[in-house]
Amino acid sequence: MIVVNYLAAVALFCLGLYTVLTRRNLIKIVMGLSLMEASTYLFLLSLAYRRDSTAPVLLSPPAGQTPQQLAGGNVADPVLQNFCLTAIVIGVAVTGVFLAVVVRIAQHYRSLDADRIRAMRG
Amino acid sequence: MSGDPEVFEREPRRRLAIGWLLAGGCAATLTAAVLAMPRGDGPLPAVARYAMVVALPDWHTTEPVNEVVYGTRGFDTFGETFLLLAAVVGIGMIARAREPRRGFIGEEAAGRREQRRVDPAQSRTSSGEREARQAEAAEESRRPGPGPATPDNEPLGAPGPERAEAMTVVVRAGVRVAAPLLTMAGLYLVAWGYSPGGGFPAGAVALGVVLLAYVSLGYRRVEPVLRPGVVEPLELTGALAIVLIGVLGLVLRGSFSANFLPLGPVQSIRSGGVLQAFSLSELVEVGTGLVLAVFGLLGMGHDWGPDDEHPGPVPGGDHS
Repeated sequence: MIVVNYLAAVALFCLGLYTVLTRRNLIKIVMGLSLMEASTYLFLLSLAYRRDSTAPVLLSPPAGQTPQQLAGGNVADPVLQNFCLTAIVIGVAVTGVFLAVVVRIAQHYRSLDADRIRAMRG
Repeated sequence: MSGDPEVFEREPRRRLAIGWLLAGGCAATLTAAVLAMPRGDGPLPAVARYAMVVALPDWHTTEPVNEVVYGTRGFDTFGETFLLLAAVVGIGMIARAREPRRGFIGEEAAGRREQRRVDPAQSRTSSGEREARQAEAAEESRRPGPGPATPDNEPLGAPGPERAEAMTVVVRAGVRVAAPLLTMAGLYLVAWGYSPGGGFPAGAVALGVVLLAYVSLGYRRVEPVLRPGVVEPLELTGALAIVLIGVLGLVLRGSFSANFLPLGPVQSIRSGGVLQAFSLSELVEVGTGLVLAVFGLLGMGHDWGPDDEHPGPVPGGDHS
């Protein structure tokens, strides 16, 4: 059933892409980009899933097992969870920079409409 | 400005057909791709298995994710930290006023006051700039002067926008109770948790505490500890500690961010060796970095200045 997670991530990504492509409000474009970022978090965590697995934590093994046996057991992928952490931090950083630029654009052009911001065209 | 009013209730959109086509095509391609992917039944990749196996003997940590973050993929975390630092510097560059100031918020008004006092002749503004400023103030329905410190003396049901800096006594008391508990929770994340190493979430919690104090008590109350002169050196100290930890691992043990500290017993505050130090530095770096980014955005004043190349009523003018 993890395929539902994959499909949800695809849906979120495409929703974000559609927002970025069709909206003209810069804040909504940044929101679309955030949506695309969020879909990658869901996708990475879903990729880490293993059927009937436990969290990758080597704590209190079941009776008769050593932690080393636990390490060899069936767990979710810790590396992909680390990727997700990295992606979250990068997402925050990028969104912050986008918003700072949007505020400056709004102050300079008195508009958030991407179609009105065309001073570069001369 | 002239032209059509900006009506976002109508929600103007562009390129609807292309948007549908590209998003739909992207959805079809990605769906076909994910349907062919393993659904939770593939074996763990070698690097994940390696992290699981070395976490306890080599690092004395019971959490392999931390071992990956600060150990096996420590260099990646190092790069990520400096990406965050670069973003904070970028926001600082975009958001900053013309000259460095003492605080984050209200610097523009302070600068104008100082300008008037020191050099009245230079502080005279062009008519276009003055008009634009007045229009902006009217748009924000701002009344001149700062509001009262707290809304405690305002009558119940007073009309008009809230002008007080702080929130009501109920909110302030609630935050005074909640903030120490939240701070403890954040410190617990970085010191203990399942095992040490929650620097990133603890940094986010630290930002939450700072923002709670800011919105409830008002900027004036948090200003003494929340100055760029305090937060910026703190952030760079965190970054320097991360560099030192990585490079010391390279010098002493032959690989970047390798452990060179003695390992404490498992499930204790000293377990994990260099992981714990790395995570603590990340707490400082992420917490202060997020504070700088958020307050940089909050304090963005309108950078009015004379346009030397195009004199005239350009600032805030019509560019469309």
